[in-house]
Amino acid sequence: MNAPFYKFDMFGDEFSLIVAFIIGIGFGFFLERAGFGSGRKLAAQFYFTDMSVLKVMFSAIVTAMLGVFYLSWIGFMDLSLVYLTPTYLAPQIVGGLLLGFGFVIGGYCPGTSAVACSTGRIDAMVYFLGIFGGIFVFGFVFPFVKDFYYSTPMGKITLPQWFNIPYGVLVFAVVVMAVGAFAAAEWGEKKMARKQAEL
Amino acid sequence: MSVALDEINHEAEHTHMKPQPYWNPYLSGIGLGMVLLLSYVIMGRGLGASGAMTTTAAVAVNAVAPAYAQSNEFYSEYLGDGTKSPFKDWLVFEVIGVIVGGFLSGALAGRIKMSVEKGPRVSVKYRLIFAFAGGMLMGIGAKLARGCTSGQALTGGAVLNVGSWVFMIMVFAGAYALAYFLRRQWT
Amino acid sequence: MEELTTTRMNEMIDPILHIWGWEIPVYLFLGGLVAGFMIISGYFTLKGHHKHDYFSSFYLPHVSLAMLSLGMFALFLDLEHKLYVWRLYTTFQITSPMSWGAWILLLVYPALLLNTLVSIPEAFSNRIHLFDKFSEKINRHPYLIKNIGILNMILGAVLGMYTGVLLSGLGARPLWNSSMLWILFLTSGLSAAAAFVHLVTTDHIERVLSAKADNAFLIFELLLFALFIVGMLSSTEAHQNGIHLILTGPYAAVFWVFVIGTGIIIPLIIQLLAVNHKINHTPIAPIMVITGGLLLRFVIVYAGQISHWTRL
Repeated sequence: MNAPFYKFDMFGDEFSLIVAFIIGIGFGFFLERAGFGSGRKLAAQFYFTDMSVLKVMFSAIVTAMLGVFYLSWIGFMDLSLVYLTPTYLAPQIVGGLLLGFGFVIGGYCPGTSAVACSTGRIDAMVYFLGIFGGIFVFGFVFPFVKDFYYSTPMGKITLPQWFNIPYGVLVFAVVVMAVGAFAAAEWGEKKMARKQAEL
Repeated sequence: MSVALDEINHEAEHTHMKPQPYWNPYLSGIGLGMVLLLSYVIMGRGLGASGAMTTTAAVAVNAVAPAYAQSNEFYSEYLGDGTKSPFKDWLVFEVIGVIVGGFLSGALAGRIKMSVEKGPRVSVKYRLIFAFAGGMLMGIGAKLARGCTSGQALTGGAVLNVGSWVFMIMVFAGAYALAYFLRRQWT
Repeated sequence: MEELTTTRMNEMIDPILHIWGWEIPVYLFLGGLVAGFMIISGYFTLKGHHKHDYFSSFYLPHVSLAMLSLGMFALFLDLEHKLYVWRLYTTFQITSPMSWGAWILLLVYPALLLNTLVSIPEAFSNRIHLFDKFSEKINRHPYLIKNIGILNMILGAVLGMYTGVLLSGLGARPLWNSSMLWILFLTSGLSAAAAFVHLVTTDHIERVLSAKADNAFLIFELLLFALFIVGMLSSTEAHQNGIHLILTGPYAAVFWVFVIGTGIIIPLIIQLLAVNHKINHTPIAPIMVITGGLLLRFVIVYAGQISHWTRL
């Protein structure tokens, strides 16, 4: 049991920033490789013509999830030390919806807009400024929405705890669901391609 | 020296590159997942993006109106206790890495190009206005949900965080709900 | 009986002197940059490229004059007694790097001015009669032009070395007490200067040439960093503590990420790909190099002021 390394004091805060930079390079690299520096490719997800967002996102989640599960199963990693964002159900539902609106209107999410900016997409740069605008608005109204922001707290909770089923079973269920979603995505893309060919 | 210059002159025709095709989505997804896994193993935390932007915003507000920023609970959290620069933050360095990594990947594939992403039916101005509006909604939504697609959906998704899965479902729901009305922009 | 013994190793007597703010690193950076400019434009002048329409031979000396003045202004801002600035020129202290610097700068200005007169850009010609006449006179003697080029290269090298010697000369700070600093700063100045030419020139040949030169400087700089670090680590404990300020201490993140990462390695990769026609030239890499050079001075100056002989 010696991972996460940082939590076991293998290195300090200063070094963690260097790690952050290197991990960020990997993150940005694969986002761009997947084509997420292009707003059109991202938005195509919502018109069923290119389901890359779903495919990339779920294969990433499944990969990391299986990795985390395996490493904690063999006792290499202490899962309880991995940071979990506490759940606040209502604000996260509303926030998710707003973010979804923003995604299809703006064409990016914050991470992909950073990649799109670095590859020269002007709309992503404007979008990036927009995010700051949104943050300023949120900061301005924060005193008024504070109660809502802290409403329906559920603490740090995972799906297995919530449903009260073993971790492994839920991991398996997610994998099955992801494979199903991949199959559906491939089928949907083909169908849309045929439909567009007919037009 | 002048010989070398002439030599360069001959080969100097501007490099014209065709953009290479994107990687297979499953392959890039697995790569992304490995990076995320590495982040858990080394740091015990996932990835993120909007947090770094909030830090920047908080520093900007603090520079203009320090009293306001420090009294506002939302900003003060990102400013820290003043013992070190707020920019010495994990997410800030990570996002700088994201920008560098994205650029490297784009450059290697010949995809660096100043352009505007839009459908053929709308003007650039229309697109930019929508990009800004979308960014604003995204900023508000990400702060309300305590994270964005990277910080919540991807990171929390892989460790089966309840809030993250609810959030992820709502993102797709919101985007699909509005997609029909915005089809002019993209198709 | 209680006895109180105090030595110089007492914070009240030997305090941490963080007396240099942003002005000195900016001055050192601009000094190094101008040094690089002088060597590059001097080289172009020496090789007779002033007849071509290259940025390096036409505008670089002018830019150098402006940047150097900016750097001198930053230095002036740092002076406690601004009114007594002229006193630097009433004396010459052979053991004082400050005194050397003041006099070197006095020689650098006329050398740069001479280089601007070798080829007056069209926009500036026929404005000041004296300059035009002088330019004509120089151009009648090719050996004069060559000598102006050599003079600029030599003074540039001296200026670049001096920005490092200025710190090395202050033996009170172990981090600066390295014989590598002068060449490190000179190379960093050269790479930033080459990056600047790469960034602004419109001429394709010059752009490729400056990118290639920059790559060589960056590789050399990496080597020098390795020597600098190894040298410090194999020295006294004070030196080791000093270098650990930037290797693992409070300046580590900025040093590794911005000075080494985005300042040298990543632009080097991008520029190597660009000169090998794998990718197009973009302004990103040179901007990274220039920023990295600036931050290098900040890191060294700030960390150096914390580094200490006595507090081990």
